[in-house]
Amino acid sequence: MQNRANYIQVECEINGKPVDLFISPDRTVVDVLRNELGLTGTKQGCDDGNCGACTILVDGKAAKSCSMLIGQIRNKKVTTIEGVSDGDVLHPMQQAFIDHFAIQCGFCTPGMIMTAIAILNENPNANEDDIREGLHGNLCRCTGYVKIVEAVEDARDQINAGGAN
Amino acid sequence: MSDCEKTNYIGKSVQRIDAFEKATGKAKYFEDYQVQYRDLLHVKVLRSPHAHAKIISIDVSAAEALPGVITVAKGSDSDIPWSDLPYASSYYGNPAKDEVIWAGQAVVAVAAETIEIAEQALELVKVVYEELPYVTDQRLAMGPDAISVTSPELGIAAGYGGVQPEGPNVMGSYKLRHGDVDKAFAEADIIVEEEYQAGKKSTSQIECNGSIVEYQQDGGVTVITNGCGVHGVIKNHLLTMYPQLTSSKLRVIQPVTGGSFGNRLFPLVEPLAVLMALRTKRTVSYVLTRKEMYISSPSNWPVYTKLKLGAKKDGTIIAEKLELVEDAGAQIRGYFDGRLSSSGLMCVYNIPNVHCDSYAVRTNTMPCAPYRGLGCAESEWAMENLLDVLAEKLDMDPLEIRLKNMIKNGESNAYGEKVTSIGLGKCLKAVADGIKIDEPCTQDDGPWKYGKGIAAAGKQNTPLGRAEADCLVHSDGSIEILVSCDEQGMGVQSALRQMAATEFQIDIDRIKVTRADTAITPFDNFGASSRTTYTTGNAVIIACQDAIEQLKEAAGREVGLAKKQITIKGGKAYIVGSNIESIDIPDLFKPFDFFTQQTWGLLKGTPVRGRGVFCPAPAVEWFGPGHEDGRTPRMWNWYQFSAFGAEVAVNEETGQIKILKLMSTADSGNPINPKLVEGQIDGGVIMALGFSIMDHHMFQDGKMMNPNMSDYRLPTTLETPLQKNFMRAILPDPLPDGPFNAKGMAESIMIPVGPAIAAAIYQAIGVRPTEMPMTAERVLKLIKDKEANDAK
Repeated sequence: MQNRANYIQVECEINGKPVDLFISPDRTVVDVLRNELGLTGTKQGCDDGNCGACTILVDGKAAKSCSMLIGQIRNKKVTTIEGVSDGDVLHPMQQAFIDHFAIQCGFCTPGMIMTAIAILNENPNANEDDIREGLHGNLCRCTGYVKIVEAVEDARDQINAGGAN
Repeated sequence: MSDCEKTNYIGKSVQRIDAFEKATGKAKYFEDYQVQYRDLLHVKVLRSPHAHAKIISIDVSAAEALPGVITVAKGSDSDIPWSDLPYASSYYGNPAKDEVIWAGQAVVAVAAETIEIAEQALELVKVVYEELPYVTDQRLAMGPDAISVTSPELGIAAGYGGVQPEGPNVMGSYKLRHGDVDKAFAEADIIVEEEYQAGKKSTSQIECNGSIVEYQQDGGVTVITNGCGVHGVIKNHLLTMYPQLTSSKLRVIQPVTGGSFGNRLFPLVEPLAVLMALRTKRTVSYVLTRKEMYISSPSNWPVYTKLKLGAKKDGTIIAEKLELVEDAGAQIRGYFDGRLSSSGLMCVYNIPNVHCDSYAVRTNTMPCAPYRGLGCAESEWAMENLLDVLAEKLDMDPLEIRLKNMIKNGESNAYGEKVTSIGLGKCLKAVADGIKIDEPCTQDDGPWKYGKGIAAAGKQNTPLGRAEADCLVHSDGSIEILVSCDEQGMGVQSALRQMAATEFQIDIDRIKVTRADTAITPFDNFGASSRTTYTTGNAVIIACQDAIEQLKEAAGREVGLAKKQITIKGGKAYIVGSNIESIDIPDLFKPFDFFTQQTWGLLKGTPVRGRGVFCPAPAVEWFGPGHEDGRTPRMWNWYQFSAFGAEVAVNEETGQIKILKLMSTADSGNPINPKLVEGQIDGGVIMALGFSIMDHHMFQDGKMMNPNMSDYRLPTTLETPLQKNFMRAILPDPLPDGPFNAKGMAESIMIPVGPAIAAAIYQAIGVRPTEMPMTAERVLKLIKDKEANDAK
């Protein structure tokens, strides 16, 4: 059983809502998101930051939540795949993944979308080389990345043309 | 656009049924159900550190005493089922009993209140092993004097085929004799021969294998799993293993799953999770870590092939002799006899004289299972490479020699099967054209040298049993298809929906698919051998037609006419020969009313249920008396084909390979959804690119050295060519018995990638790789060996 004497207080913002956690400091962010907060959209495919399925945004930057302890999101703004769309209105990145058939088994998709959003946050005019460089920490075994890269380029153009978000 | 065109969804890239849920994180995979069980127990497993050892003793007392530990299981426990077949239970992931035969095999399992407690308990387990000699190299495992993978006193080292005369680890063989090979080689103008090896690799789907098993108060269990084949595989196996479970006490559900590629085709986590649930009467979760995925879940089976071809001066191949060995890993399955892999060497070229000796051998490595392509990427690696050697000797180009010898539609292959669909010729011509195989690469003075290559491939479809489908027509006029096929990401439920919409000539939004729950959906076997589009697809069509017939009858009764006067389309029954032109389908369902109720006819709230059952024709025996030549008019079902071409750069200082440009073509039969087919092409090409030049298991001291996603190097966005250099085409030859003439296609894509790259390497730097993957280290060694040779 967990030793509550070691528990720490973690205040943060997750998907726009304030969250106040009293929790064991040895827990990873992905574990807390999934198993305490029920945000199961973030996936875990390994435990050493190599597959990228657990990618979330921390203050707008891509981070692998399997390799972060819960204390590391203290006072940070966290966005998971559940916080990307505006109700039923999808983020252009989500829509582009759908439109371009960039989703097959879908297990890498949430992490892939979060990384892709972070790439464009950093560089709204990212070209194909930049996108490939940015996505190389996210593994996909189904798509060969072809339609994923297509989708990110399309989302970039949609956003730059004045699309939503 | 006519009504018919609007509702013919075949060949249209309709959006995937599951894309929205997957893009928003709402799709539920098995592990996402954990949060709804607050009393969940977690299973963790202690694994063998040795490739081969006798288990002298296991002391679990300290682990059992740890607070929070509910139960500890070891192989000698009485509730672990062992059949007469040695190692049967441990094949399915349960703890070993007397000996461990690969590093990674389960030895002790713990169920505890948390993962941390379970892991802590495993540290308290004391196992005493007596290490035994082991063999991890299949070339050393073959032969009468090889080290035995198992201890003879603990269990026979044989498969279902019994002890084989060739050696202690040989577990099965398949031999084929077609024509007169000796005579043909004597008549050949040119003979070429070489040995080839294809390595050990993991499918590495991003979602790790796991199950949640919910204990039911009647003593039954509900299994929520990402394993394949809810009826045909998981339920069937669990019922055999645990007699206390009966058909009605075992429910298996497969939610959204994150890939398989063959890895999950046999139950690996379900048996242990069920055992722990039955013991503890609690809900348990058992999820493999990534490391466990590598060391305990199946790899492909590596293949050694010694191939010899004889040809006439005009390029006609008249003789083929092959010796092939599949490495099945430590444990055994009945199908390991070399037949699966050697099928790749029979199905592409029409060679009148064939001599095939193929075997399966065990090694002390993680047990093997199908890996997309079923051993044909491994065996055709030999054929396609040797064809290039032959072409060079004959001064023919690689396209010409392939087109000349390719099986043509209607011809018979070496088995004696008639081929009814082959679109390989146009696939080959398209890739040759796409990468401009006739135009040599321009070389410069830098370390990078450039070359091009093409290759062809074929893959059989194994007739793997029955698929069933139910088609419900609800009283609101909507359609629901119930099937139990696997959906591992390929999009088959979307394709099935297109077939159903086309049968009913109805807007596709009116079709829903409910899938893979043994309590609700009818039997299917499993998603293997590219069979789902074909087998489940045909079942869906039959189910739809059955439901349509019932609607016709109901509409006919309304107007007093025969079924033949009724047509169902667009959500209506159209009538000829009546003053009533049409009836809306919902109007055929009568309101439930105290004064009108009756036993017959369609009532609101009760859907019409159409049933569809489809099974490929059975294979015809190729063994036993009268079948000494191993031939048969029906060993497999149909064949899918593919061709691949690549332009590569090879660094002659480092051996590194870069793919500059590629083209892949698929004979998919008539494609139901071209974008889904493209997705299979793209994914297959890049997966194959990985095992062709990068990813493979590395062993040291009997253990896998690279069981993680950093050392096991998978292709990323950086290893794959830019979009403008990634070309593909779907070039179908319709399959007469396929649903809307479709066939499966996702396996053949894998096969020609490696050999085409090898051909390009040869063109670039003049060395011919014979071992796959062609890692930089291996290519550099070939370069150095060549330099040393040239210097002599």
